[in-house]
Amino acid sequence: MTTDLKEIDRRILLKSAALGIGVLALRPGAAFAAGQAVTLADIGVGDLNGDWSGYTNPTGNKVNVVSIGNGPSAVLNQLIAGGGRQTYDIINIVGGMQKPLVENKLILPLDVSRLKNWQNNEYIASYFKSGSKGFDFIGYEGKVYGVPTVLQGDSFAYLPEKTGGDLNSYGALFDPKFRGYVAIEDNYTTAGQKAALYLKSAGLTDIKDPSDMTKEEIKKVVDFLTQKKKEGQFRVVWSSFEQAVNLLVNQEVYVMDCWEPMVFAAKAKGVNAVYATPKEGYLLWAMAAYLVAGNRSPERLEASYQLLDYMLSPEYGAMITNLRGYMTHPEAPEFASKSGKFDPATAKKIADIDAGVKTKFQSGGTWQARWPTNIETYEEEWQRFKAA
Amino acid sequence: MALLGGPVLLCALAIVVPLVLTLIISFWERQMIGMRPGFSLASYALFFEGARFSVLKRSFWVAASSTVLMLSIAYLVAYLITFKLPPNRTRIFLFLLSVPFLVNYVIRTFAWAYLLGRTGPVNQLLQWTGLKSQPVDWLLFSDFAVYLGLIAAYMPFMVYPIWLSLSAIDRRLIEASWMLGEPPLGTFLRVILPLSLPGVFAAAIFGFVGAFGEVAVSQILGGVGYQLMGNAITSSLDVLNYPMAAAMSTVVVGCMLVLLLLWLRLFDLRLFLGKMLGR
Repeated sequence: MTTDLKEIDRRILLKSAALGIGVLALRPGAAFAAGQAVTLADIGVGDLNGDWSGYTNPTGNKVNVVSIGNGPSAVLNQLIAGGGRQTYDIINIVGGMQKPLVENKLILPLDVSRLKNWQNNEYIASYFKSGSKGFDFIGYEGKVYGVPTVLQGDSFAYLPEKTGGDLNSYGALFDPKFRGYVAIEDNYTTAGQKAALYLKSAGLTDIKDPSDMTKEEIKKVVDFLTQKKKEGQFRVVWSSFEQAVNLLVNQEVYVMDCWEPMVFAAKAKGVNAVYATPKEGYLLWAMAAYLVAGNRSPERLEASYQLLDYMLSPEYGAMITNLRGYMTHPEAPEFASKSGKFDPATAKKIADIDAGVKTKFQSGGTWQARWPTNIETYEEEWQRFKAA
Repeated sequence: MALLGGPVLLCALAIVVPLVLTLIISFWERQMIGMRPGFSLASYALFFEGARFSVLKRSFWVAASSTVLMLSIAYLVAYLITFKLPPNRTRIFLFLLSVPFLVNYVIRTFAWAYLLGRTGPVNQLLQWTGLKSQPVDWLLFSDFAVYLGLIAAYMPFMVYPIWLSLSAIDRRLIEASWMLGEPPLGTFLRVILPLSLPGVFAAAIFGFVGAFGEVAVSQILGGVGYQLMGNAITSSLDVLNYPMAAAMSTVVVGCMLVLLLLWLRLFDLRLFLGKMLGR
């Protein structure tokens, strides 16, 4: 009797195991990865204000959004010294960081065939094709490492009531008329490059390529910025999203080197802020969501791919465009108007933003250099500017 | 000895080992991502030759001058609590002094930024009362704002050691001074102040060390890249220059050690600790 029971148990066990294996073999990806918690490190613009239901409901996974700094070295620092490799599954930062990230085995190449929203994405096909300047934001040595979640052309913000009209040059950041009412970002790849664009365009300094300067050219740019700093041109060097928004909202400064989402945030608080159309062109860039290299289970990896795919979806794109003002997915405007998730006014706003950013890309400028050739000199010189 | 071994080992692991590692790394060579073991004075040379040395000098000046300011306020507060406040209210007052610590000090610092801004309540009040027709710029992003932030952050810490020293003074000594015909100022200068000096020096250490290594106050209230040593070290870490950060940290720790040795030389530490322990 005992033996029979054992045999039955074994048969049941074997059948159950076979059934289980069969189910797993036929599983849809979402079921395979359900119940995972994916940690997304973001610089503050990729979060959907906590509403990740578009991802969590169909997959059964969770998203844990944590903050990460945007400076190139700060990102590396957090991955290498801050334990980010163990903590983060995906980092969503401004792209163009592949060289140091790949060479130090901090990120994984992407299998784009696992991303259904990658296919037929007109923006990826147009702006990130292999060999283009845009590809440098997501790829390295022919391989794709980053998912381009948003695209944007940066300039600067101003308060027209305070500046007495429209501003259309980065020269406004250095115009003595606004002395003491200007703020710039604590980042040489943005503030430094915009200053270089201005100096080159105005013929004040001989700079061959503002996106990849020689050591001498960087020194000249920092000398100029230091001189302006000593003259009292800058009120503050901002270093966080909230700080920058507050500077505009409290009208602490009238002209500010910043990101467009800060203008949206300031507008939402009732401030008439404008994002400028500079004659020198835009600082073009794209966010890239990278898969962090680390010991991850196949389930967690699958869940991470699912999240990357969601971040490429028209739904995520429409929500981010609405929240932050970036161009995202080509079908985001259509999704916004047809899905019923947005009212007609918001859907129109999303379509307008999309068209506006597209215009920026058409009017051109220079792609931001996230990892220029002489990056050590950039960093040393930026320290000199701050300490001066 | 066995009982003593645990705490000593813990101290060694938590304090001595990181300090020794910091000292060793300060002689290593920087690589773009990471560092290479070796013996190089490059970081120290770059530190003492470059812009960062001016940060050290500024930090010394800001820390020393703010400590003097904070001491004068803290001493006055501690004196009033000890000698002028009824004993039953002392505890309430000391508790009230600790209330600000219930709020994170970075948030408190951001609150100052709001209060002191061009459109903030202080400027609004100044304009509403007619004292100023335009916003006062130097209230925020200035030396004034940094000093205010430092005083708000560290001065309350300094009241407690001074109060401890003052409250431990034998009142009979003060009465004897009075009976011998010494006026109040003389009694203060010749009896109270000397006897309270261990507490004053302890408070000065708290204030100086805090201000010297400050990061948030200078960044939030200081304006255009206002750097103190804490900011300079953080900046070096941000750009992955670990040997430089270690060299700067070593210099800072060295400065602090000199101050502590000075304290030990001038005052008997056991005297102060004995008072704290009620002996």
